[in-house]
Amino acid sequence: MRWRESQVDGGASSEQYIAVKYMERILDREMKKGSAELVVLALVEHRARHGYEMSQVIEERSEGAVRFRVASLYPLLYRLEKRGWVTGRWVEKAGQRRRRYYRITPAGRKVLAQQRSGWERFVGAINRIVEA
Amino acid sequence: MRNWTSEVRDRLARLEIPPTRHAAIAEEVGQHLEDRYTTLVARGMRPESADRAVLQELSDSDVLAREVQRIVPHREPDPDTLGGGGRRSWLEALWQDLRYATRTLRRTPGFTAMAIVTLALGAGATTAIFTIINTIVLRPLPFAEPDRLVRLWESNPEKGWPEFSASHPTFLDWRARSRSFERVAAQTPAGFTLTSAGDPEIIRANAVTEDFLPVLGVTPALGRNFTAEEDRPGGRTTVAIVTHRFWQRRLGSNPGVVGTTLTLDNQPFEVIGVLPESFAWGGDRLDLLVPLAPDPARSRADHRLLVIGRLAPGGTLEQARSEMNGIASQIAHDFPASNQGWSVRLSSFYDWLIPQPTRDSLRILMTAVALVLLIACGNVASLMLARGASRQKEISVRVALGAERSRILWQLLVEAMLIALIAGAIGVGIASVSTRLLVAAGPAAGLPRVDEISLDVRVFLFAFATAVLSGVFFGLVPALQASRPQLAGALKEGSRGDSGGAARQRLRSTLVVAEVALSVALLIGAGLLIRSFARLQHVQPGFDVERLLTMRVNLPRTTYRTGPEMRTFYQRLLPELATAPGVRAVATSSGVPLGPGGASTELSIPGYTPSAGVPVSANWYLVSPGYFAAMNIPLRGRDFDDRDVPKPDGSALPVTIISETMARRYWPGVDPIGKTVAISSFGGQTCTIIGVAGDVRNFGLDAELGPMLYGSAMVFSGWNPMNLVLRSALENPQSHVEAIRGAIRKLDPKVPIYDVNEVADLLSTSLGPRRFNMYLLTCFAAIALTLASVGLFGVLAYLVSQRTRDIGIRLALGAARTDILRLILGQGMMLALTGAALGVIVAFSAANTIENLVFSVSPRDPLTFIAVPAVLLGIALIACYLPARRAMSVDPLVALRSE
Repeated sequence: MRWRESQVDGGASSEQYIAVKYMERILDREMKKGSAELVVLALVEHRARHGYEMSQVIEERSEGAVRFRVASLYPLLYRLEKRGWVTGRWVEKAGQRRRRYYRITPAGRKVLAQQRSGWERFVGAINRIVEA
Repeated sequence: MRNWTSEVRDRLARLEIPPTRHAAIAEEVGQHLEDRYTTLVARGMRPESADRAVLQELSDSDVLAREVQRIVPHREPDPDTLGGGGRRSWLEALWQDLRYATRTLRRTPGFTAMAIVTLALGAGATTAIFTIINTIVLRPLPFAEPDRLVRLWESNPEKGWPEFSASHPTFLDWRARSRSFERVAAQTPAGFTLTSAGDPEIIRANAVTEDFLPVLGVTPALGRNFTAEEDRPGGRTTVAIVTHRFWQRRLGSNPGVVGTTLTLDNQPFEVIGVLPESFAWGGDRLDLLVPLAPDPARSRADHRLLVIGRLAPGGTLEQARSEMNGIASQIAHDFPASNQGWSVRLSSFYDWLIPQPTRDSLRILMTAVALVLLIACGNVASLMLARGASRQKEISVRVALGAERSRILWQLLVEAMLIALIAGAIGVGIASVSTRLLVAAGPAAGLPRVDEISLDVRVFLFAFATAVLSGVFFGLVPALQASRPQLAGALKEGSRGDSGGAARQRLRSTLVVAEVALSVALLIGAGLLIRSFARLQHVQPGFDVERLLTMRVNLPRTTYRTGPEMRTFYQRLLPELATAPGVRAVATSSGVPLGPGGASTELSIPGYTPSAGVPVSANWYLVSPGYFAAMNIPLRGRDFDDRDVPKPDGSALPVTIISETMARRYWPGVDPIGKTVAISSFGGQTCTIIGVAGDVRNFGLDAELGPMLYGSAMVFSGWNPMNLVLRSALENPQSHVEAIRGAIRKLDPKVPIYDVNEVADLLSTSLGPRRFNMYLLTCFAAIALTLASVGLFGVLAYLVSQRTRDIGIRLALGAARTDILRLILGQGMMLALTGAALGVIVAFSAANTIENLVFSVSPRDPLTFIAVPAVLLGIALIACYLPARRAMSVDPLVALRSE
């Protein structure tokens, strides 16, 4: 995706830093518009995950560019749960503390499909503008 | 390592969420932070730096708290401060709402008392009237399968007798030929003198056929019913079945009474049975039943049997009617001399016993009382609206704290229901007391089945339903209004809680207009009945009512077999009584005004051509000489006297006296004295008219005046029992009774007197049903008027209190106090005028429903339609003046400073 291209390995110039910050702000806004929901739904699409796992995966896949703070992640999870798009369940595994795993519901799957195609149309459109 | 879970817990401490959820969130988020810390340290970060970095993560914990609070349902709130609710059972919620409602209502005792009293009045009156209707109209008649019971009459509409008693042979034909009835029975009243023990007593008996008790579905509690052998002419007819009351009163509840003997009219009668206590025929004055023994040899022109039947199983009244019509025309064909023109008429017991006028007037009373209830509801709704306004802030706080609108709506409805149910319970109490009063007035009101009236399950269900419905009615609109607050305005300190105030005020005004309209309609109804009653009291009965005593004298048939024997008795008795101290005049008559004993006859008048279908007939009495003087009935011509009494040679001048109406109808413009008329009931004799008497309202003040004629009791002397009429000079005419009894005892100790009445009382009793309707309707109208006035007052008082500041500004800007008065009065009177106008329209269009209850007043009587709204507007003016005066005395400085 486009914003990956602003990533730099190693030390960052101030210019690059500004770019990243800027992207974070955009992302922040986009999240509020629903892309955050898209991200979470996509993460639990194929397997149940707990909150920290989700934040790790997001950080890894975005190579550190996107991070969810607990203040946005958990309210988001609770909201999705309240809407019936995901369900959360405490799971205990031998030798481990219990963790709350979230999995997608059929209703969540429908929403995910819609949001995914909407997002792709949006990004495609932005790309066509920027790359022209 | 820091305890991240407790770190999170502390930061979310202020969350209003269920504790278990709170702990779970702290655990989940704490775990996340711990994992993060571990990861950072594992990546080589120093513990202090890792700790700082993770702590950074919690820097916007207030966002976390806010977001969680928005998503996670609230903690179960304190009911006094919050309106929200978690996942509780509805019963729990209801209980909580009820407790909350009780607390809230207790905080405003004035409002609560006012609302409950208003509603209890409405519900009580409604339930009382319903109790009566429930018993009289709705409860099944006290007979087995009452739907199958039918009343049968002979009918001759052409002669003006659509429902007439049946003759013995016709009854026997009906009974023998009909197939649609399981049984047909007949009865006729019979009087006996009981001389078994103590004073001779007049016994009220019914002569009945053997089928009579089976038709009603009654079996004797002791002994047996009559047999066919006992119920035929020449059979062993001297047997009797006594009523439960008579058995207790005269026979000492003797269980071995069957087989004993009673002496009736000097003849021994064997008691063969005792009726059950529940036997509900003939009222509580019936003493015993004897066999009727219907006689096929009696004249078909002699109509005296009351006939009843029980439909065959599955049969309908319509089938019976068509079959009986066929039988009746067959009889008319077979016996043209007696039965030409006679057919049969059937009606259900229900239609016969609960006549249409009774049902009509009860329906009108029920409507009236329902209107009172509506007005009461309107008033309480208005109170609730005003209260909703002052509770605006409380409701806004609850909404701000997250209460849902439906929850607040429900809470307000529960409050309304609580008021309604308390009022309903008090209403049942009021109903129980007022029903007792109504029952006491019932016999005078001419209501049937009054002795059966009682509260039952249906009444309680009715009261409950009334309460719930009125609760919804007066609670819903104010609740909808109040649960829609506009937070910002209402929460501001010092605000009047006035958001939506205009709409609320409009609603209250509409309610008041409706209340005034309904009150005016009710008042007009009551006004019409009052006017009718006043008119009725001014109707001249045609004779002097004061100090006039009547009683009946029954000459035992075994001693007085012939007319002349009876005449001799009275010829000896009357002079005896006339000279008694305090007696002005005394006479006998076969009938007395408003009492029993009337009869009617066909006439044949030389030279008079009747119009088709209109019978030439008259009612008649047999009276002794001196009757007109004793009654103070004006008389032209001469009274009956000795000239009319049969001479030893058997001859007498057949003469008659007629009424003014009869003279006008059949001899218009001619003096009828000296003319002749042939009278069927006097054996078809042609009589010479010797006098014209003033019209007398014999059948009630509100009855039509019809033609009336009089024969001499000295000539036609076989009528028994006769009425004695006595004009007294004494203040208390009843004091003559003992002297009369003594005089009669001197002549014959076995002759009883009974039915002693002052005619003034009879007259008053005859007005009973009208008085009953008038009092009740007036009472309802008065309650309605009071409620409507209170409603009007309330709305204006509230308006003034809301506009104190506005009025203050006007005054400060130089408005005269009279302008303020005019402003407030104008607003109030506008509502009253609108309501009054609507009420007049309603009353005008509903006038037909009251037509049967009014007398000599049009149901659209202009005077009533003008006077009633005028009175109401006068009262409305007072109700408006009080708040207006308060508005006028507003001190502008105080008013402006108050906010």
